[in-house]
Amino acid sequence: MRGEPIESVKVGLESMLSSLRQEPFALESVNISIITFDRDVKQILPLTPLDELQLPEISTPESGPTHTGMALKLLCNRIDKEVRLSSPDQKGDWMPLLFIMTDGKPSDVQLYREMIPEVKKRKFAGIIACAAGMSAKTEPLKELTDSVYSLDTLDSASFKKFFKWVSDSIGVGNRSIGATDELQLPPPPPEVNVVC
Amino acid sequence: MDRAHRKASRKYRAIHRLNETARILDRAMDTNGIMPSEKEPFLNWVITSMWNNFKQDRMNRRLVIENEIKDLKLRFPNGTVKKQYSVFFSLPLDKISDITLDGIEDLGLSLIIDDNGLCSLAGRPTQVGDFTLKLRYNTIAGEPRSELSIPIAFNPNPRDLWKNIPTDPNILFFKPDSECEYVKVESKVDGMPCKDIVAASQRGRSHAQEGKPRDDHFRLFHCDDSDWYVIAVADGAGSAKFSRRGSEIACNVVVEECKKRLTNNPAFEDAIRDYNAQPEDMEKRLRMTNYVHDIVLLTALKAHEAINTVAAANSENVRLKDFATTLMFAICKKFEFGWFIASFWVGDGAICILDTDHKIIKLLGTPDEGEFSGQTRFLTMPEIFRDPDLMKKRLRATIVPDFTALFLMTDGVSDPMFETDKNLNDYAKWEEFYRRLTNGFPEDAIGGVDLSDDNEQSKEQLLKWLDFWSQGNHDDRTIAILY
Repeated sequence: MRGEPIESVKVGLESMLSSLRQEPFALESVNISIITFDRDVKQILPLTPLDELQLPEISTPESGPTHTGMALKLLCNRIDKEVRLSSPDQKGDWMPLLFIMTDGKPSDVQLYREMIPEVKKRKFAGIIACAAGMSAKTEPLKELTDSVYSLDTLDSASFKKFFKWVSDSIGVGNRSIGATDELQLPPPPPEVNVVC
Repeated sequence: MDRAHRKASRKYRAIHRLNETARILDRAMDTNGIMPSEKEPFLNWVITSMWNNFKQDRMNRRLVIENEIKDLKLRFPNGTVKKQYSVFFSLPLDKISDITLDGIEDLGLSLIIDDNGLCSLAGRPTQVGDFTLKLRYNTIAGEPRSELSIPIAFNPNPRDLWKNIPTDPNILFFKPDSECEYVKVESKVDGMPCKDIVAASQRGRSHAQEGKPRDDHFRLFHCDDSDWYVIAVADGAGSAKFSRRGSEIACNVVVEECKKRLTNNPAFEDAIRDYNAQPEDMEKRLRMTNYVHDIVLLTALKAHEAINTVAAANSENVRLKDFATTLMFAICKKFEFGWFIASFWVGDGAICILDTDHKIIKLLGTPDEGEFSGQTRFLTMPEIFRDPDLMKKRLRATIVPDFTALFLMTDGVSDPMFETDKNLNDYAKWEEFYRRLTNGFPEDAIGGVDLSDDNEQSKEQLLKWLDFWSQGNHDDRTIAILY
């Protein structure tokens, strides 16, 4: 993703953060990490409390492969290091939520397939995948999660709606989980199509 | 020589030097074959290009300094509105001057720069939001002022954001958003004070924010005839839609079943006396534990079944786990040799006997906790009752000479107060907890609870105390105290 769409993603992220900051529970308990993936895979933001968070620059190359598999690998690695589990000595974090957004398809298909069971082992409270734009493929995402959505247009209005919905979902995820197995997401806005 | 003469002589020498320079310049142009008519345009060209070079060089030097300032990567951490904000950074005063940080006054901040370039940006932010400050400074004389945008963000104070939206009284299984109760047990004929029970339950801020109902519940009972105390506390799962009803059924069933099984049950009391007289006698021990098994465990099972029945009686798309709740309850009675206390506990929270005289605690089991926050086990899980270690894990029976207080609390209280399992087992932490309970939180204007005998007002004090502030802990809070 580059050009106007990536600018729109930034605008969407900014507005997601400002709306999350208006939620007292989110402001006190949400932590966010961002991993970008294209030819390179980078964790541009380590897991950071919402109140301290400052969005870093997001830069993307002109063209090249989409290393989604590598991104999942880095994700697992960071989750293991940064998410605290309960132990007699420390209180655990809430179960994490994963949002994955792509405008293409994984170029490293083999690694992508290998990493899917690894991601599932990490016990996310929910994995929400979004295929952004017409050239994004939803099939690979369906292998990762049952919650796949798509966006037709990549303008800032659509991303704002999408991220608003993401922040509402974060609000829902931040509750005690265990009685019901699946995360009940709020209904997505009309701009977000339900794929499965 | 007079003064006028000296002055004229100096002037003459200056004119002479200028003429000399002009002649040298003129000769140089002649030597290079520059026609007299081309001399002036040539000199103009020379001066213009040199001047441009000079300006270019001056701008380059400015850009070098600007890049140097940019490379400092000045980033201001986020602040919170109305809370003291302070950040320090350094600027190279040998390279830049007349520094201003435009936009700070409107935000309630001020900048102080000392002689060494150490800068302090501080104040109490007045506005919430994302802002851009402009660092402006001079570099090289003759160059325009330089400018650098630095973002700064101030968060709202989360305490100002909480809303208290009452629960819609027309919802299915409505219950009040808070509740408190005092069970006063009159002194016996001998004038010895008897222990009382106080309990309070407050809807969590995370529920109040969305107008969602309280999921916690408690029930208290004291039988004046048999002198048995029954205390039940339950925490409906936040993610289950009818858990508020699950917790209520669980507490109600506990009280009704225990009432039935404890009133007029001299055989059980005899078994307790026999066991106390010879605690090492296995037969007597077994007889007592069999009674506890029959009374406490069957009560828990009845509670499970009662929720199951209600869930099954509702429409088809309602499942047992929609009523998911934890449950802890205790039956207690004072004998001539001390207190007998038996308990059942499934889920998180805490149930504990505190004795400040002897500085001991007795945790009546271990909380069920998962790897992540919010994970636990529920009374509504059928596997709880199939667990071969059920008795060992969840049932407790104990005799203590006396105690300061018996606490039953949901995780809405125990999480912020104890945080970890390790702390739950630490006497010092319980002493600290007791101090916070009785002294309150003066820094947040939350009063303490006066746990003196027959103080019926302690129920309101306890309810108010449950509003204590703890970052990230805004679950429903319920606590029952036998003291």
